Amino acid sequence: MHVLQVKDFLELINETLRLSLTQADFMVEGEISDYRVSQNKWISFDLKDEENQAILKCFATVWQIKTPLEDGMKVQVKGVPKIYERYGQFKMNVSAVELVGEGALRRAYELLKKKLEAEGLFDPSRKRSLPRFPNRIGLITSRDAAAYGDFLQILNNRWGGVRVNHAHVQVQGRDAVPSILGAFKYFNGLAKKDQPDALVLTRGGGGLEDLHAFNDEDVARAVYASSIPVVCAVGHERDESLADFVADVRASTPSNAAERIVPNRSEVVYEIEMMSGRMEDQMLSQINAHEIELDSSVRTLLHFFERKSGEVRQVVSNLLVRSDAWVSRLRERIESRTRLIKSLDPKRVLERGYSLVTSSGKVVKDVKQLDAGDKIKVQFAKGSADADVTKKYAS
Amino acid sequence: MPPKKKADFAAAFAELEKISEWFETEEVDLDEGLKKFERGLELATDCKKKLTEVENKVEEIKKKFSDLANE
Repeated sequence: MHVLQVKDFLELINETLRLSLTQADFMVEGEISDYRVSQNKWISFDLKDEENQAILKCFATVWQIKTPLEDGMKVQVKGVPKIYERYGQFKMNVSAVELVGEGALRRAYELLKKKLEAEGLFDPSRKRSLPRFPNRIGLITSRDAAAYGDFLQILNNRWGGVRVNHAHVQVQGRDAVPSILGAFKYFNGLAKKDQPDALVLTRGGGGLEDLHAFNDEDVARAVYASSIPVVCAVGHERDESLADFVADVRASTPSNAAERIVPNRSEVVYEIEMMSGRMEDQMLSQINAHEIELDSSVRTLLHFFERKSGEVRQVVSNLLVRSDAWVSRLRERIESRTRLIKSLDPKRVLERGYSLVTSSGKVVKDVKQLDAGDKIKVQFAKGSADADVTKKYAS
Repeated sequence: MPPKKKADFAAAFAELEKISEWFETEEVDLDEGLKKFERGLELATDCKKKLTEVENKVEEIKKKFSDLANE
């Protein structure tokens, strides 16, 4: 017979358990009681089986178990059972917890909602608006879901020219959360110029269990962290999900998501027509106003010219009257001058009986100019004679 | 700036909106108004034409997203 130390014995037990249970595929179902978290790290609770009055002590870390838990919840746990040597206690080292039944799911949903809300993930002030005319949309849904067809149908009915980059993901089941997280990572990891203008995360309606991926904390945080605005549309009108609350735009159905993300062609056509109509009106009224202005300008100008031409006529006629008087005055002056000049003509004097005496071509005005014996010339009105000076007399 | 391609519907529409706003808020100068009016009509025609001819294009991204999440 072998003798084992306590520690070795417990190690043997743990090893045996581990080897015999790793291949086994099972989960343990029970109700949570005495749920505690110590030092924000270690989770411990009892899993109770009311009917059979059995208790399984459970241990986990907050990093392994993200599902919000509280006493009274019905859950299934997966993990490795072992005896902790130090305290001689048998415990299940839990690696995964799944909620069982609508009640537990509802409760976990409410707890997580409260937590995320307190953290500000639903804050309306951080919600971004969508571009009015998106060029590119990232569609995150399953190609097998009715939501996929509904969304595209309404999108095509309303609007065109959009590139839809479809990320095919699982919207329920085990792969749903990782594939949705992967899609968010993919779109946000694209170069800015290749990124869609908005992301649409959508699926049809379902129970809390079907919608679990849309109520998952990591998915909610991925929506929150997305640098691209997110439209979330989950389920029917009345369904809600945590992803809805975090999203920038919450649409009620997949069809509604299409309505929220693109405008309606006919509305935009109407708007364009309104704008061109208004421009035309403004332009016409401007032209009209200018026409009136031009009209009145032309009238003013005509009036001006009429008035001016009257003035000019007046000036010209005044000028003519004045010039008449001036001309006759001028004529008189010229005539009187002419008379004067005529009266000075020596011939006229000679005609009156005077004679003109010249000596060597010079008019003799003084007897001193002459000496006795000089030859002089005497000019009469008619004819002339040469003469000799015989004697001088001083005057 | 004339609209270059289909993707620029948003740009064309935005320019049209700006011109339309100009007509509503500014003292319209006839010469400038005529220029803007012509441009506006051109944009409106382009926009309306684009609305009738374009359709949406769906491109499937060939990736396994559940693997991507853990990279």
